[in-house]
Amino acid sequence: MGLFGGGKQSGRERRAMKDHLVELDELRRKQLRDLGAMTVEMAEAGRFDRERLSDQAREVVGIDREADLIARGLEEGLTLEELEDLARSDDEPATDPGK
Amino acid sequence: MRKGALKKKQRQLEELHLDRREALGELVLGMFVQGNWDEAIMSRGAAEVREVAEELNALAAPPAAPADSGEHDLAPTGEHTAEHSMPETGEHTGTHVIAEPGMPETAEHTQEHAVPATTPAVTEPGPKKPETGKPGSDSPAATAESAPPKAGTPKPDTAKPDTGKEDPAKAVAAAATAAPKPPAPAAPGTPAPVAVDGKEEAEPQQKLSELDLLEEKIGKSESQARTAAEAARASTAADSRTELSAITREIEADRTKLTSTLSTASARIADAEKRAVAAEAKLARESAANREAAAGWVRSQAAEIEADAALAAEIAADPDGSPAAGADAGPRQAELEARIRTLETSLEAEKASKIEVLTIAESRLKAIEESAREAEKRVEEAEASLSEAGTAPVSVEVAPGIVTEAEAREAAVVWLRGQISALRQEISKGEASDKKGGT
Repeated sequence: MGLFGGGKQSGRERRAMKDHLVELDELRRKQLRDLGAMTVEMAEAGRFDRERLSDQAREVVGIDREADLIARGLEEGLTLEELEDLARSDDEPATDPGK
Repeated sequence: MRKGALKKKQRQLEELHLDRREALGELVLGMFVQGNWDEAIMSRGAAEVREVAEELNALAAPPAAPADSGEHDLAPTGEHTAEHSMPETGEHTGTHVIAEPGMPETAEHTQEHAVPATTPAVTEPGPKKPETGKPGSDSPAATAESAPPKAGTPKPDTAKPDTGKEDPAKAVAAAATAAPKPPAPAAPGTPAPVAVDGKEEAEPQQKLSELDLLEEKIGKSESQARTAAEAARASTAADSRTELSAITREIEADRTKLTSTLSTASARIADAEKRAVAAEAKLARESAANREAAAGWVRSQAAEIEADAALAAEIAADPDGSPAAGADAGPRQAELEARIRTLETSLEAEKASKIEVLTIAESRLKAIEESAREAEKRVEEAEASLSEAGTAPVSVEVAPGIVTEAEAREAAVVWLRGQISALRQEISKGEASDKKGGT
């Protein structure tokens, strides 16, 4: 059982979460392709700009985090409000391993 | 059919390209997450993506170069431009032949230009032209006539061995695009139709084999890309999943271990409780029996002592000692002496029996003490097993019972000792009264 669970997740909320999860997956793949294309360009130029790569990778990490949150909401049957609270409580300054 | 296959391959290559880009992105993401940048690996991944991109370009390029199509060999319109007899590299344009005398300045020579010179030119060096790559050295008629035999040769390789610039993939693609346009029906008046048929037979086989090779290559590249993508995904996801599953397994193992330990401990506690209850009951039974026996024995002793006391009082109050009984003094004295002896004998016997009883009581007391010690040992063992089980609350519950048992035993022993000492006192008192009576 999670931290929440007071309310009951409606079917609409569940559908919305699932749809959003699919969108996030597509977005993630697109971002990864962009990241790959950027890497190819840099390899052709003979110089890798780590800052740009890190920026792009950070976006993918953000998408992953959001997807994890949504997946948790689906798994634990959280309402959107609870999910929002959870997102706010988890909204701490993330560590940046890329730097 | 061939167009469909090409489109399919192009689609596969596009998908492969996207997959490789995604895999490379995963790779870079993994490096970012771990904070470990490896430019060599990134370069390798980029090279793989570029390789697929180049293949895709090679596949897509031929349709964009219709100038090198097969119609140059045999124009359906009957118009032969200067390039028609040139190598397919396109290095030689019509401008080369402009300088030639007899050629139109537009560099376009049509079929009509060559018609007047056909007969003499055909026997001239036609087939050798492509080697020199200089069609301008021949007359336009010769070039126009040389085209059909060139088209009739089984392979275009003989016409362009010196170029050396054509990519095999491009060549295949060019051949593929050239193939759908058989020129035979377009030039019915020329000797080309027969030759074109021969070409039609040879070219598809070559194209098919090239296509097979290309297909195989694409399949190989695709499988490599899939493997790379899987590895990259696995590298990012596997760490967290593996860690999570390891933690879960560890927790499950700990839980199982804890459950088994708890069940073992509860079994031991139940066993110890049973033993403690049995020991307590046994002790209670023994204590009750001992008390009963001691009480009975004390009662019998008291009765005997009372009887002795009564006898002593009777003897003391006997009128035989008075002077009024002078006549019967002799036989009565003898009777009294006999009775006293009997009493003394009985007293001695009683004393001996008391001593015997005391000895028995002492030995019984020792046995009781021994059993008390054993009970204490058992209690200690039970306490030790309880402390091994590590269940403090239960041991707290069990301990008072055990302490009560020990205390009960101790109390019984003390009580018995008191009884024995009281008996000893009684015996000593009896002896003293006997001595007094004797004197």
